Amino acid sequence: MTPTLTNLGLVLLTLTAAAASAIALRRLRSAMAINQGAVNPDATTDPETRDDSLPATRPTPTEPGKTTLNLLVTAIALGAGALLVYRWAEVGEDWNPIAAHVDGLLLIASLLAAVGLFIQRRPRLGGLAVFILPLLTLILAWAICASTWTYKEFNPGSLYPVWTAVHLTGVYLGTLGCALAAVAGVMYLVVEQQLKAKRNPRGLLRLASLETLERLTVQTSAVGFALLTVGLVSGVLILREQGDALGEGWWYSPKIVLAFAAWALYAVVMNVRVATVFRGRRAAWLAVAGFVLLLVVYGIVTSGGHA
Amino acid sequence: MRLLLLGINHRTAPVALRESLAIGGERLPAVLNGFKQNFPGVEAVLLSTCNRTELYIARPSQSPPDIDALRRFLADQCGADLDALTAASIHREQQPAVHHLFRVTAGLDAMAVGETQIIGQVRRAYEAAQLADTTGPTLHRIFQSALRDVKQAHQQSGVAALQQSVSSMAVEFAGNLFESFTDKTVVGLGAGEITKATLRRMLSSDQSPAATWIVNRTASAGSRLAASLGLSTAMGETISPGGHHGGARSWEDLDEVLVEADIVITGTAAAEPVVTAAQFKPLLRRRRNRPLFLIDLAVPRDVEPAVGTLPNVYLYNIDDLNSALADVPRRREKIDRCEALVRGAAERCLGAAQHQDLGALVRQLRNKLLTIGEAERERTQRKMQALHAAGRYDQIDKLLDEHTHRLINKVLHLPLSRLEGKGKRSATPSPGEPKEAAESGGEVPMGFYAAALRRLFDLDETATVGDAQADAPDVANPGP
Repeated sequence: MTPTLTNLGLVLLTLTAAAASAIALRRLRSAMAINQGAVNPDATTDPETRDDSLPATRPTPTEPGKTTLNLLVTAIALGAGALLVYRWAEVGEDWNPIAAHVDGLLLIASLLAAVGLFIQRRPRLGGLAVFILPLLTLILAWAICASTWTYKEFNPGSLYPVWTAVHLTGVYLGTLGCALAAVAGVMYLVVEQQLKAKRNPRGLLRLASLETLERLTVQTSAVGFALLTVGLVSGVLILREQGDALGEGWWYSPKIVLAFAAWALYAVVMNVRVATVFRGRRAAWLAVAGFVLLLVVYGIVTSGGHA
Repeated sequence: MRLLLLGINHRTAPVALRESLAIGGERLPAVLNGFKQNFPGVEAVLLSTCNRTELYIARPSQSPPDIDALRRFLADQCGADLDALTAASIHREQQPAVHHLFRVTAGLDAMAVGETQIIGQVRRAYEAAQLADTTGPTLHRIFQSALRDVKQAHQQSGVAALQQSVSSMAVEFAGNLFESFTDKTVVGLGAGEITKATLRRMLSSDQSPAATWIVNRTASAGSRLAASLGLSTAMGETISPGGHHGGARSWEDLDEVLVEADIVITGTAAAEPVVTAAQFKPLLRRRRNRPLFLIDLAVPRDVEPAVGTLPNVYLYNIDDLNSALADVPRRREKIDRCEALVRGAAERCLGAAQHQDLGALVRQLRNKLLTIGEAERERTQRKMQALHAAGRYDQIDKLLDEHTHRLINKVLHLPLSRLEGKGKRSATPSPGEPKEAAESGGEVPMGFYAAALRRLFDLDETATVGDAQADAPDVANPGP
């Protein structure tokens, strides 16, 4: 009963997220089409309306679909949250809302959708939603996989339910911070590339400035770093108690090494204003690389075992 | 009347030449008077801003001055090198000249495309020419039409609302790099007109930067500019009575200033780049890799292009800035619309001028025919009186026939001899020749005249098929 309902809910959420992404991308494309069409106004505009006053013929590139988009993203945030709470009540333990990988993904998806809603309202962070929504869709699709085919509960009946809860929450929320840092990093690279090509990045959308994006990368990296620290420390504590869970030499297993490597990268990114060699493009690339490393760690977790 | 334009602008001429050819409001009347003495009876308006110096003249076709004479005149007046002026100047005639004037007035040829300030400068140039009495009907019509139609085009296209200027463009584009403008340090390199105008606008807007520094090779000029902008005048002093933070810095301080700067605007008259990649690279580390927005307004460029490839440095010249800002659809739409309106207005203006020229031509033709008729009439009258005196009334009919024949022959003599002797004449076009043919410099094909005659006198083609066969292809596509 519970898995079926979870799967159903997840499929619905994924479809909603896909629809939201499609709307966001269509808005981007329509902005681009206006951008290109305006080269030759005679070709795109009806000659009879051309002599009318300008305000009447001026296109409104952003408005249609904005309300729909906001509604869809709200629905995803609430739906993912509700599904998480439902699964906590059905499957999870008292202290631990995250019983399996799918719960962690739901937690991230719910918060990411909430962040997306928040960003939509901030003019200075314009354009970020277009980058967040496809990521949200991917996470939800991944959650379907994790729920349907590779479903496995983490350490049922762990000896340390509180530590496990802290570890998992820390790791997942930390990953959310890192995902946002990676999104901001990708946007930084897009804007930077446009500027170097002598093009106006705001020609398409009202994108944030380089300075804003760098600040956002630094701040989300700092949050991700702090939460990952909590997750890693609590994870190491658990491992020390149940030392044999990963077998001999657990401390140099790929999972641990990669996790610490990603953690170290974020330590650099959050300090780029001091470690100025990594400023600009390099910081953006580091944020992306850190997130990729984290994804690899997750891959190991879902394919192998977990302590 | 024929309209000629000789000019230099920010795209064609180096800053140094532009500055030597800049003719301020106080010198303008003297230059116009000099023009009147050199070329009496020629209409002229001289437009001079910090980005361009343009001389518009109207004169009868075939009469002096030609473009070379105008170049020599400008070079003499400003003490500029004639060769440099020749290399950097543009020259337009008739329709292209009118179109150019309209585009310049509309700010479409300005540094900041869509700038509306220039309309006032064109008006002042026109008024100065009126005062100096160098304008005439042709330039009156064209300038009045330009000033009126361009204003209308600005309103209709929405360009007036853009409030474009180099400064506003720099501030707007800086929004891609910086979160806010008001906590940034702006540096002006060079104390010329361009940096002056840009910084003045920047400081007077509500988006004024946190600190503004001026670095100039000649320290005194830098201090003067700083004072005129309300900045501190003493070297290195930071708080000024004008309330803006900043001031003039010495040229030796350039590296230091480049380390502090977030936005640099360059406009020196130097012949070589003053900021090179080799010089700038070591500064990157000291800048802690902060992004730098470099706007190079100078010609030749002040900043080596290689500087733009360094990390976190964004180097733009004025054309880059214009084309990048045109990526915003609404702005481009307005400017394209303005461009179309201005083109239409320029065409209408020249159309009206040509119409008036045609009227004059018809009057000329009529007068010429009247003189021929008058001469023949006198001759016939004398003969008639002689016949009356002799009482030979039977000869009067013959005389009337003779009169008619002579009249037709006299009227047709010149055009027909031109038509037949066309192959031989060429080297020395006589003043009475159609101006289009003479001024385009080449031979007008015979078919053109034949076709014109046929059209003008409504002649049947079959009747003359033997004569014009060789030129038949040209009939379909008459010359200019």
